Amino acid sequence: MTDNLTVFIVDDDLSVRDALSLLLAIHDYRVAAFADADSFLKAFKPAWRGCVLLDIRMPGMDGLTLQRKLLELGSDLPVVVMTGHGDVDSARTAFRALALDFLEKPLDESRLLNAIGEAFARQRKAADAALTRDQVQRLLDGLTPREKEVMERVVAGRHNREIAAELAISPRTVEVHKARMMDKLGVLSVADLVRLSLS
Amino acid sequence: MPLKYLLHPGFIALYVALDAASFIHPLHGLNITPWSPAPALGLVYLLRQGPIARVGLVAAVLLGEYLVRGMPFPWWKSLGSALILAAGYLVLSEFLKRRLPLTSLLDDRAALLAWMVPVVLGTLINSVLYLTSLHLLGLLPANGWLTGVLQFWVGDAVGITIAMPLFWWLTGERGRFALRSVLLRGETLMYSLLGLVALGIAFGLGGDSGFKLFYILFLPIVWASARQGMAGAIVSATLLQLGVIAAVQMLDFSAVTIAELQMLGVVMALVGFFIGGVVDEQRRTSGELRQTLRLAAAGEMAGALAHELNQPLTALGAYASAYDTLQARGETGVRLDAAINGMRAEAQRAGDVVKRLRDFFRTGATKLESVALRQLIDSSAEPYRLKARQGGIQFIESEVPDIMLLADRLQLEVVLRNLFSNAFDAVAAADTTGKLVSVQAVPLPGARVLICVEDSGCGLSREEAERAFESFHSSKSSGLGLGLVISRAIAETHGGSLWCEVADHGVFKLVLPTQETRTS
Repeated sequence: MTDNLTVFIVDDDLSVRDALSLLLAIHDYRVAAFADADSFLKAFKPAWRGCVLLDIRMPGMDGLTLQRKLLELGSDLPVVVMTGHGDVDSARTAFRALALDFLEKPLDESRLLNAIGEAFARQRKAADAALTRDQVQRLLDGLTPREKEVMERVVAGRHNREIAAELAISPRTVEVHKARMMDKLGVLSVADLVRLSLS
Repeated sequence: MPLKYLLHPGFIALYVALDAASFIHPLHGLNITPWSPAPALGLVYLLRQGPIARVGLVAAVLLGEYLVRGMPFPWWKSLGSALILAAGYLVLSEFLKRRLPLTSLLDDRAALLAWMVPVVLGTLINSVLYLTSLHLLGLLPANGWLTGVLQFWVGDAVGITIAMPLFWWLTGERGRFALRSVLLRGETLMYSLLGLVALGIAFGLGGDSGFKLFYILFLPIVWASARQGMAGAIVSATLLQLGVIAAVQMLDFSAVTIAELQMLGVVMALVGFFIGGVVDEQRRTSGELRQTLRLAAAGEMAGALAHELNQPLTALGAYASAYDTLQARGETGVRLDAAINGMRAEAQRAGDVVKRLRDFFRTGATKLESVALRQLIDSSAEPYRLKARQGGIQFIESEVPDIMLLADRLQLEVVLRNLFSNAFDAVAAADTTGKLVSVQAVPLPGARVLICVEDSGCGLSREEAERAFESFHSSKSSGLGLGLVISRAIAETHGGSLWCEVADHGVFKLVLPTQETRTS
């Protein structure tokens, strides 16, 4: 994987960690395993990308508490919850805390791989979106204050004449600013401009 | 089967012998005696053997009339009265047959009543009919009818009441077994001796002054039936009846006094039977309760183990998937080996869990045996000694007193291991220095022993102590929190108890009854 995505396994059972690590490594995933919630939290970095494979019942902090903690820390790592004795209550708690999937042990291989695949797809999409946001910001930063004022008003749906009146400049000058602004942002129409300003 | 052919002649011979033995103090030389156990035998024979027994009974009654009383009157009168008597027993047996299942041991109140009421009323009706027929045949003095009816009724009712349960038990497999095991006990000899003493006191000291001390006779029968249930009641009632008859023969009491004594005898027997019935009922109920508790414990154990199977199965499945993928790629080497070794190890682990389950169910029927407490604690502590050395935990096993338990060894080992396991987990979780687990056993008054397992962990708060014995409440990841629930069920099945104390360190206390010291 070129994009630095990792499966973080948190399970207190050594054999389960070992077996899952082996299986996921064979499917070319990067794997990091933790024996309990505390050691995971201690090592946790906001920059981590990938997904968390989380057992519910563990000594110390249980999996659902860890899931909530991650949410509080502002992490957007997708969480896949695993449990040997799933009940409606724990499933509900997990999904309300935005779990991506809820798997019963013994695990079904295809469901596990699907869940991880989905989690990674989400992470990539989020990364793409973040990339676009950065680019747009850079383009916007290149506008002069006057061009920004014109852009805001164009996006708000005002005509050139209205804008000219508001800014106390001639309509002709508004046209010049507008053409330059659209050129800098690389948009061809007002519709494109609106779309870009929304992203 | 020669025995089969001997059965009916054997019955007739026994019936006549009983008739002869009990032909004491006859009224007017007739078959009116204060004690007649022969009809009891006749009724049991009729109930057990079915229609063919009717012929045998009539033959036995007629033969008894001929051999024992020697036909003192014209033959047709004797024959007629004997036939009327036999017909009465036949009707009574038909009536009992509908109310008394063949498998019943008369050892609960309902069955006792279902048997008692027809016997008392049936013998009364029979007595009236028989005596009236004797009267009509002119065999009875005109003023002797009422006394005759009462005497005959008492003799029959007492004979049947006291002897029929004995014969009923002797002719059934379960009854024979129960009687044999009661007779082999030393306690039976003890209350028999007490019975002799009571007879001596009642007849020797109180005999002249109107039999005042009769109530002494209740002691052995109450003892026997309270301790041994219906079996003890039957044995003691039979022995007392024989003792009373022997005493009146030796002391030469009048027939009327004997009839009064027999009324006393039947009351004593009934008291014994009802106490015995209640005791048996209570024992059965408590046995059923234990069985239920055991099933509940087994169910919880199965649930806990099923959960523990999940982890190795999860790992096993993942290794197998890994193996599949590697195999498909044609990859060999370290990773393939890791998958296969992992599968092997996890299969082993799952097997261990199943073995524990089997061990538990193997003890499904509580197998009580004499177990030395020292050996029990020793074998349960064995796996934890190594653990203590490895974990730097001090494991103190105090000297165990020389006490024997009547217990299921495997189940109690489950309890003790569970306590040790909890203690070691508690110590491992607490970050203290001077890690310590200790076990000691202290004899308590009342044939009990206290086994105390303590640890230097953080102990349980009041709330935790209350919740610790609830199902599915666990502070640990492995298991469903059933260890203590099962342990308590096992302790209670053994007649003991298990609880934890609220303290600043872990304290679990197990009390078990000890085996009564044997006289060997």
